[in-house]
Amino acid sequence: MMPSRRRPGGRAGPSLWELASAFGLISLTGFGGGQRAQIRRQVVSRKHWITDQDFIEALEVAELLPGPNVLNLAVFIGQRLRGVPGAVVSLIAGSVPPFLLVLVAGAFYFSKFNTPLVRSALSGATAAAVGLTLANALELTAATRKRPLNLVIIAATVVSVTYFKLSLVLTLLIFGGLSMVVYAWSKRKTTMPTR
Amino acid sequence: MMETLVRLAIAFGTLSILGFGGGKGIIPQMHDDAVTQFHWVTSEQFAQFYTIGKLVPGPTTIFGALVGYRAAGYVGAAVAAAALFLPSSLLMMLAGAAWRRFSASSWKDVVSVGLAPVVIGLVWSSVFTVAKGTIQGPAAIAIALLITALTLRTALSAPLLIALGAAGGLAFLR
Repeated sequence: MMPSRRRPGGRAGPSLWELASAFGLISLTGFGGGQRAQIRRQVVSRKHWITDQDFIEALEVAELLPGPNVLNLAVFIGQRLRGVPGAVVSLIAGSVPPFLLVLVAGAFYFSKFNTPLVRSALSGATAAAVGLTLANALELTAATRKRPLNLVIIAATVVSVTYFKLSLVLTLLIFGGLSMVVYAWSKRKTTMPTR
Repeated sequence: MMETLVRLAIAFGTLSILGFGGGKGIIPQMHDDAVTQFHWVTSEQFAQFYTIGKLVPGPTTIFGALVGYRAAGYVGAAVAAAALFLPSSLLMMLAGAAWRRFSASSWKDVVSVGLAPVVIGLVWSSVFTVAKGTIQGPAAIAIALLITALTLRTALSAPLLIALGAAGGLAFLR
Protein backbone atom coordinates (compact mmCIF):
# COMPACT_ATOMS: atom_id res chain seq x y z
CA MET A 1 0.00 0.00 0.00
CA MET A 2 1.26 3.47 -0.91
CA PRO A 3 2.03 5.69 2.08
CA SER A 4 -0.40 8.59 2.42
CA ARG A 5 1.01 11.98 1.65
CA ARG A 6 0.84 14.55 4.45
CA ARG A 7 -0.91 17.71 3.39
CA PRO A 8 -0.37 21.22 4.78
CA GLY A 9 -3.48 20.96 6.91
CA GLY A 10 -1.86 18.04 8.73
CA ARG A 11 -4.48 15.61 7.44
CA ALA A 12 -3.20 12.60 5.51
CA GLY A 13 -4.24 12.51 1.84
CA PRO A 14 -5.84 9.43 0.32
CA SER A 15 -3.74 6.65 -1.18
CA LEU A 16 -3.92 5.99 -4.90
CA TRP A 17 -6.00 2.93 -4.15
CA GLU A 18 -8.50 4.99 -2.15
CA LEU A 19 -8.75 7.46 -5.06
CA ALA A 20 -9.29 4.61 -7.52
CA SER A 21 -12.03 2.97 -5.47
CA ALA A 22 -13.83 6.28 -4.81
CA PHE A 23 -13.94 7.40 -8.45
CA GLY A 24 -14.45 3.87 -9.74
CA LEU A 25 -17.52 3.49 -7.58
CA ILE A 26 -18.87 6.90 -8.61
CA SER A 27 -18.34 6.11 -12.31
CA LEU A 28 -20.34 2.91 -11.95
CA THR A 29 -23.29 4.27 -10.01
CA GLY A 30 -23.85 7.82 -11.17
CA PHE A 31 -25.63 9.37 -14.12
CA GLY A 32 -25.16 12.86 -15.51
CA GLY A 33 -25.72 15.71 -13.07
CA GLY A 34 -26.23 13.42 -10.10
CA GLN A 35 -22.58 12.42 -10.24
CA ARG A 36 -21.37 15.90 -9.35
CA ALA A 37 -23.33 15.83 -6.09
CA GLN A 38 -22.04 12.33 -5.46
CA ILE A 39 -18.39 13.37 -5.89
CA ARG A 40 -18.96 16.33 -3.60
CA ARG A 41 -20.49 14.07 -0.95
CA GLN A 42 -17.59 11.62 -1.21
CA VAL A 43 -14.57 13.92 -1.34
CA VAL A 44 -15.88 16.87 0.72
CA SER A 45 -18.53 15.72 3.20
CA ARG A 46 -17.52 12.13 3.91
CA LYS A 47 -13.78 11.81 3.41
CA HIS A 48 -12.77 15.48 3.87
CA TRP A 49 -10.11 15.16 1.17
CA ILE A 50 -10.71 18.73 -0.04
CA THR A 51 -12.64 21.75 1.23
CA ASP A 52 -15.93 22.89 -0.23
CA GLN A 53 -14.19 25.97 -1.63
CA ASP A 54 -11.64 23.76 -3.41
CA PHE A 55 -14.48 21.65 -4.80
CA ILE A 56 -16.25 24.68 -6.24
CA GLU A 57 -13.00 25.83 -7.86
CA ALA A 58 -12.40 22.36 -9.27
CA LEU A 59 -15.93 22.26 -10.70
CA GLU A 60 -15.40 25.65 -12.30
CA VAL A 61 -12.29 24.48 -14.18
CA ALA A 62 -13.89 21.11 -15.01
CA GLU A 63 -16.85 22.84 -16.65
CA LEU A 64 -14.76 25.46 -18.40
CA LEU A 65 -12.36 23.10 -20.17
CA PRO A 66 -13.36 20.57 -22.86
CA GLY A 67 -14.20 17.01 -21.82
CA PRO A 68 -16.83 15.29 -19.68
CA ASN A 69 -17.34 17.38 -16.52
CA VAL A 70 -17.28 14.45 -14.11
CA LEU A 71 -14.10 12.97 -15.62
CA ASN A 72 -12.40 16.39 -15.60
CA LEU A 73 -13.41 16.81 -11.98
CA ALA A 74 -11.94 13.41 -11.06
CA VAL A 75 -8.67 14.23 -12.87
CA PHE A 76 -8.39 17.63 -11.17
CA ILE A 77 -9.12 16.31 -7.68
CA GLY A 78 -6.80 13.32 -8.19
CA GLN A 79 -4.01 15.67 -9.25
CA ARG A 80 -4.64 17.99 -6.31
CA LEU A 81 -4.40 15.13 -3.85
CA ARG A 82 -1.70 12.88 -5.30
CA GLY A 83 -0.05 14.71 -8.19
CA VAL A 84 0.15 13.27 -11.71
CA PRO A 85 -0.18 9.62 -10.55
CA GLY A 86 -3.37 10.64 -8.73
CA ALA A 87 -4.73 12.25 -11.89
CA VAL A 88 -3.92 9.19 -14.01
CA VAL A 89 -5.46 6.79 -11.48
CA SER A 90 -8.62 8.91 -11.21
CA LEU A 91 -8.91 9.08 -15.00
CA ILE A 92 -8.61 5.31 -15.33
CA ALA A 93 -11.04 4.67 -12.46
CA GLY A 94 -13.55 7.13 -13.94
CA SER A 95 -13.42 5.93 -17.54
CA VAL A 96 -12.58 2.22 -17.69
CA PRO A 97 -15.73 0.91 -15.90
CA PRO A 98 -18.12 2.85 -18.23
CA PHE A 99 -16.00 1.71 -21.20
CA LEU A 100 -16.39 -1.95 -20.20
CA LEU A 101 -20.13 -1.52 -19.59
CA VAL A 102 -20.67 0.09 -22.99
CA LEU A 103 -18.75 -2.81 -24.59
CA VAL A 104 -21.01 -5.32 -22.83
CA ALA A 105 -24.07 -3.45 -24.14
CA GLY A 106 -22.45 -3.39 -27.60
CA ALA A 107 -21.72 -7.14 -27.50
CA PHE A 108 -25.40 -7.72 -26.79
CA TYR A 109 -26.40 -5.30 -29.56
CA PHE A 110 -24.34 -7.21 -32.14
CA SER A 111 -25.34 -10.68 -30.89
CA LYS A 112 -28.10 -12.98 -32.06
CA PHE A 113 -30.12 -11.83 -29.06
CA ASN A 114 -30.83 -8.59 -30.92
CA THR A 115 -34.20 -9.87 -32.10
CA PRO A 116 -36.95 -7.81 -33.77
CA LEU A 117 -38.50 -7.48 -30.32
CA VAL A 118 -35.29 -5.97 -28.92
CA ARG A 119 -35.10 -3.68 -31.93
CA SER A 120 -38.61 -2.37 -31.17
CA ALA A 121 -37.52 -1.64 -27.62
CA LEU A 122 -34.37 0.06 -28.89
CA SER A 123 -36.40 2.24 -31.28
CA GLY A 124 -38.52 3.37 -28.36
CA ALA A 125 -35.40 3.93 -26.25
CA THR A 126 -33.86 6.02 -29.03
CA ALA A 127 -37.02 8.13 -29.24
CA ALA A 128 -36.69 8.62 -25.48
CA ALA A 129 -33.02 9.67 -25.85
CA VAL A 130 -34.13 12.27 -28.40
CA GLY A 131 -36.72 13.44 -25.86
CA LEU A 132 -34.06 13.74 -23.13
CA THR A 133 -31.80 15.78 -25.42
CA LEU A 134 -34.69 18.00 -26.52
CA ALA A 135 -35.58 18.66 -22.87
CA ASN A 136 -31.93 19.54 -22.22
CA ALA A 137 -31.91 21.96 -25.17
CA LEU A 138 -35.14 23.60 -23.98
CA GLU A 139 -33.89 23.98 -20.40
CA LEU A 140 -30.54 25.43 -21.47
CA THR A 141 -32.22 27.84 -23.87
CA ALA A 142 -34.74 29.00 -21.26
CA ALA A 143 -31.90 29.62 -18.80
CA THR A 144 -30.02 31.86 -21.24
CA ARG A 145 -32.87 33.74 -22.90
CA LYS A 146 -32.26 36.93 -20.88
CA ARG A 147 -29.43 37.85 -23.26
CA PRO A 148 -31.13 38.37 -26.65
CA LEU A 149 -27.83 37.95 -28.49
CA ASN A 150 -27.61 34.41 -27.14
CA LEU A 151 -30.81 33.45 -28.94
CA VAL A 152 -29.38 34.82 -32.20
CA ILE A 153 -26.17 32.83 -31.73
CA ILE A 154 -28.10 29.67 -30.81
CA ALA A 155 -30.24 30.01 -33.96
CA ALA A 156 -27.23 30.77 -36.19
CA THR A 157 -25.37 27.74 -34.78
CA VAL A 158 -28.32 25.39 -35.27
CA VAL A 159 -28.90 26.44 -38.89
CA SER A 160 -25.19 26.39 -39.81
CA VAL A 161 -24.50 23.02 -38.22
CA THR A 162 -27.74 21.21 -39.08
CA TYR A 163 -28.35 22.47 -42.62
CA PHE A 164 -24.97 23.69 -43.85
CA LYS A 165 -22.87 21.06 -42.01
CA LEU A 166 -20.48 23.68 -40.66
CA SER A 167 -17.65 21.84 -38.89
CA LEU A 168 -17.29 21.95 -35.11
CA VAL A 169 -13.95 23.80 -35.31
CA LEU A 170 -15.36 26.56 -37.49
CA THR A 171 -18.58 26.74 -35.46
CA LEU A 172 -16.60 27.33 -32.27
CA LEU A 173 -14.22 29.77 -33.96
CA ILE A 174 -16.85 31.85 -35.77
CA PHE A 175 -19.86 31.87 -33.44
CA GLY A 176 -17.92 31.20 -30.25
CA GLY A 177 -15.38 33.86 -31.16
CA LEU A 178 -18.09 36.39 -32.03
CA SER A 179 -20.01 35.64 -28.84
CA MET A 180 -16.87 35.91 -26.68
CA VAL A 181 -15.77 39.19 -28.29
CA VAL A 182 -19.21 40.75 -27.80
CA TYR A 183 -19.37 39.57 -24.20
CA ALA A 184 -15.83 40.78 -23.39
CA TRP A 185 -16.63 44.14 -25.00
CA SER A 186 -19.92 44.59 -23.12
CA LYS A 187 -18.18 43.66 -19.86
CA ARG A 188 -15.46 46.22 -20.47
CA LYS A 189 -18.04 48.88 -21.25
CA THR A 190 -19.93 48.25 -18.01
CA THR A 191 -16.78 48.26 -15.86
CA MET A 192 -15.20 51.29 -17.58
CA PRO A 193 -16.99 54.09 -15.63
CA THR A 194 -15.82 52.71 -12.28
CA ARG A 195 -12.16 53.20 -13.18
CA MET B 1 -6.70 -1.49 -40.34
CA MET B 2 -3.85 0.75 -39.18
CA GLU B 3 -5.24 3.52 -41.36
CA THR B 4 -8.66 3.18 -39.72
CA LEU B 5 -7.11 3.36 -36.24
CA VAL B 6 -5.23 6.53 -37.16
CA ARG B 7 -8.42 8.06 -38.56
CA LEU B 8 -10.30 7.12 -35.38
CA ALA B 9 -7.58 8.62 -33.21
CA ILE B 10 -7.47 11.88 -35.18
CA ALA B 11 -11.26 12.27 -35.47
CA PHE B 12 -12.02 11.49 -31.82
CA GLY B 13 -8.92 13.25 -30.51
CA THR B 14 -10.11 16.41 -32.26
CA LEU B 15 -13.57 16.00 -30.72
CA SER B 16 -11.94 15.61 -27.30
CA ILE B 17 -10.14 18.95 -27.56
CA LEU B 18 -13.28 20.66 -28.91
CA GLY B 19 -15.65 19.10 -26.35
CA PHE B 20 -16.63 22.28 -24.52
CA GLY B 21 -19.69 22.28 -22.30
CA GLY B 22 -18.96 18.79 -20.95
CA GLY B 23 -18.80 17.31 -24.44
CA LYS B 24 -22.49 17.93 -25.16
CA GLY B 25 -21.67 19.76 -28.39
CA ILE B 26 -19.63 17.13 -30.22
CA ILE B 27 -22.51 14.88 -31.34
CA PRO B 28 -23.21 16.52 -34.75
CA GLN B 29 -19.52 16.46 -35.74
CA MET B 30 -19.10 12.88 -34.49
CA HIS B 31 -22.13 11.89 -36.59
CA ASP B 32 -20.65 13.62 -39.60
CA ASP B 33 -17.30 11.83 -39.17
CA ALA B 34 -18.67 8.39 -38.29
CA VAL B 35 -21.64 8.24 -40.70
CA THR B 36 -21.12 10.64 -43.60
CA GLN B 37 -17.37 10.76 -44.00
CA PHE B 38 -15.96 7.39 -42.95
CA HIS B 39 -19.09 5.16 -43.08
CA TRP B 40 -18.15 3.39 -39.86
CA VAL B 41 -21.82 3.18 -38.77
CA THR B 42 -25.26 3.94 -40.20
CA SER B 43 -27.24 6.92 -39.00
CA GLU B 44 -29.63 4.58 -37.18
CA GLN B 45 -26.79 2.71 -35.45
CA PHE B 46 -25.27 6.02 -34.39
CA ALA B 47 -28.55 7.06 -32.77
CA GLN B 48 -28.85 3.70 -31.02
CA PHE B 49 -25.26 3.86 -29.75
CA TYR B 50 -26.00 7.36 -28.45
CA THR B 51 -28.96 5.88 -26.57
CA ILE B 52 -26.74 3.16 -25.08
CA GLY B 53 -24.34 5.94 -24.02
CA LYS B 54 -27.17 7.60 -22.12
CA LEU B 55 -28.21 4.31 -20.56
CA VAL B 56 -24.76 3.34 -19.26
CA PRO B 57 -23.35 5.21 -16.22
CA GLY B 58 -20.51 7.62 -16.90
CA PRO B 59 -20.03 10.17 -19.70
CA THR B 60 -22.55 9.81 -22.58
CA THR B 61 -19.76 10.24 -25.15
CA ILE B 62 -18.33 6.85 -24.11
CA PHE B 63 -20.64 5.49 -26.82
CA GLY B 64 -17.89 6.58 -29.23
CA ALA B 65 -16.21 3.29 -28.22
CA LEU B 66 -19.02 1.44 -30.04
CA VAL B 67 -18.34 3.50 -33.16
CA GLY B 68 -14.69 2.51 -32.78
CA TYR B 69 -15.72 -1.13 -32.36
CA ARG B 70 -17.71 -1.00 -35.60
CA ALA B 71 -14.75 0.59 -37.38
CA ALA B 72 -11.94 -1.67 -36.11
CA GLY B 73 -13.09 -4.21 -33.52
CA TYR B 74 -12.04 -4.13 -29.87
CA VAL B 75 -8.78 -2.33 -30.66
CA GLY B 76 -10.86 0.32 -32.43
CA ALA B 77 -13.08 0.63 -29.36
CA ALA B 78 -10.05 1.15 -27.11
CA VAL B 79 -8.46 3.67 -29.50
CA ALA B 80 -11.73 5.60 -29.79
CA ALA B 81 -12.23 5.76 -26.01
CA ALA B 82 -8.62 6.76 -25.38
CA ALA B 83 -8.76 9.44 -28.08
CA LEU B 84 -12.02 10.79 -26.65
CA PHE B 85 -10.81 11.11 -23.06
CA LEU B 86 -7.00 11.41 -23.01
CA PRO B 87 -6.49 14.79 -24.75
CA SER B 88 -9.12 16.60 -22.66
CA SER B 89 -7.74 15.00 -19.48
CA LEU B 90 -4.22 16.11 -20.39
CA LEU B 91 -5.50 19.67 -20.81
CA MET B 92 -7.15 19.34 -17.42
CA MET B 93 -3.84 18.24 -15.87
CA LEU B 94 -2.01 21.18 -17.44
CA ALA B 95 -4.68 23.51 -16.08
CA GLY B 96 -4.34 21.87 -12.68
CA ALA B 97 -0.59 22.48 -12.71
CA ALA B 98 -1.04 26.14 -13.71
CA TRP B 99 -4.07 26.59 -11.49
CA ARG B 100 -2.84 29.51 -9.37
CA ARG B 101 -2.25 31.73 -12.39
CA PHE B 102 -5.32 30.35 -14.09
CA SER B 103 -7.77 31.11 -11.29
CA ALA B 104 -7.15 34.85 -11.29
CA SER B 105 -7.59 35.47 -15.01
CA SER B 106 -10.75 37.15 -16.25
CA TRP B 107 -10.95 35.37 -19.61
CA LYS B 108 -12.38 32.34 -17.79
CA ASP B 109 -15.67 34.15 -17.55
CA VAL B 110 -15.44 35.27 -21.18
CA VAL B 111 -14.88 31.70 -22.40
CA SER B 112 -17.67 30.11 -20.35
CA VAL B 113 -20.30 32.81 -20.96
CA GLY B 114 -19.22 33.31 -24.57
CA LEU B 115 -19.25 29.64 -25.57
CA ALA B 116 -22.50 28.80 -23.73
CA PRO B 117 -24.93 29.78 -26.56
CA VAL B 118 -22.83 27.92 -29.15
CA VAL B 119 -22.93 24.75 -27.03
CA ILE B 120 -26.71 25.16 -26.65
CA GLY B 121 -27.04 25.51 -30.42
CA LEU B 122 -25.00 22.32 -30.82
CA VAL B 123 -27.33 20.51 -28.39
CA TRP B 124 -30.29 21.55 -30.59
CA SER B 125 -28.40 20.24 -33.62
CA SER B 126 -27.82 16.96 -31.75
CA VAL B 127 -31.59 16.61 -31.35
CA PHE B 128 -32.07 16.88 -35.12
CA THR B 129 -29.02 14.70 -35.86
CA VAL B 130 -30.20 11.83 -33.67
CA ALA B 131 -33.88 12.21 -34.59
CA LYS B 132 -33.23 12.15 -38.33
CA GLY B 133 -33.75 8.66 -39.68
CA THR B 134 -34.68 7.19 -36.31
CA ILE B 135 -37.87 8.98 -35.33
CA GLN B 136 -40.33 7.68 -37.89
CA GLY B 137 -44.08 7.86 -37.55
CA PRO B 138 -46.42 9.39 -35.01
CA ALA B 139 -45.78 6.79 -32.27
CA ALA B 140 -42.04 7.56 -32.10
CA ILE B 141 -42.75 11.30 -32.11
CA ALA B 142 -45.27 10.80 -29.29
CA ILE B 143 -42.74 8.84 -27.21
CA ALA B 144 -40.05 11.49 -27.75
CA LEU B 145 -42.39 14.34 -26.75
CA LEU B 146 -43.77 12.46 -23.75
CA ILE B 147 -40.22 11.83 -22.47
CA THR B 148 -39.39 15.51 -23.08
CA ALA B 149 -42.33 16.53 -20.91
CA LEU B 150 -41.47 13.98 -18.22
CA THR B 151 -37.85 15.18 -18.14
CA LEU B 152 -38.95 18.78 -17.71
CA ARG B 153 -41.75 18.15 -15.21
CA THR B 154 -40.54 15.22 -13.07
CA ALA B 155 -37.30 14.18 -11.38
CA LEU B 156 -37.19 10.73 -13.03
CA SER B 157 -33.64 9.62 -13.91
CA ALA B 158 -32.39 9.30 -17.49
CA PRO B 159 -32.03 5.48 -17.48
CA LEU B 160 -35.56 5.12 -16.12
CA LEU B 161 -36.96 7.40 -18.83
CA ILE B 162 -35.09 5.47 -21.52
CA ALA B 163 -36.51 2.22 -20.10
CA LEU B 164 -39.95 3.82 -20.31
CA GLY B 165 -39.27 4.66 -23.95
CA ALA B 166 -38.20 1.06 -24.57
CA ALA B 167 -41.49 -0.15 -23.10
CA GLY B 168 -43.30 2.30 -25.37
CA GLY B 169 -41.31 0.92 -28.30
CA LEU B 170 -42.36 -2.65 -27.46
CA ALA B 171 -45.98 -1.59 -27.29
CA PHE B 172 -46.23 0.73 -30.29
CA LEU B 173 -43.20 0.36 -32.58
CA ARG B 174 -43.50 -3.23 -33.81
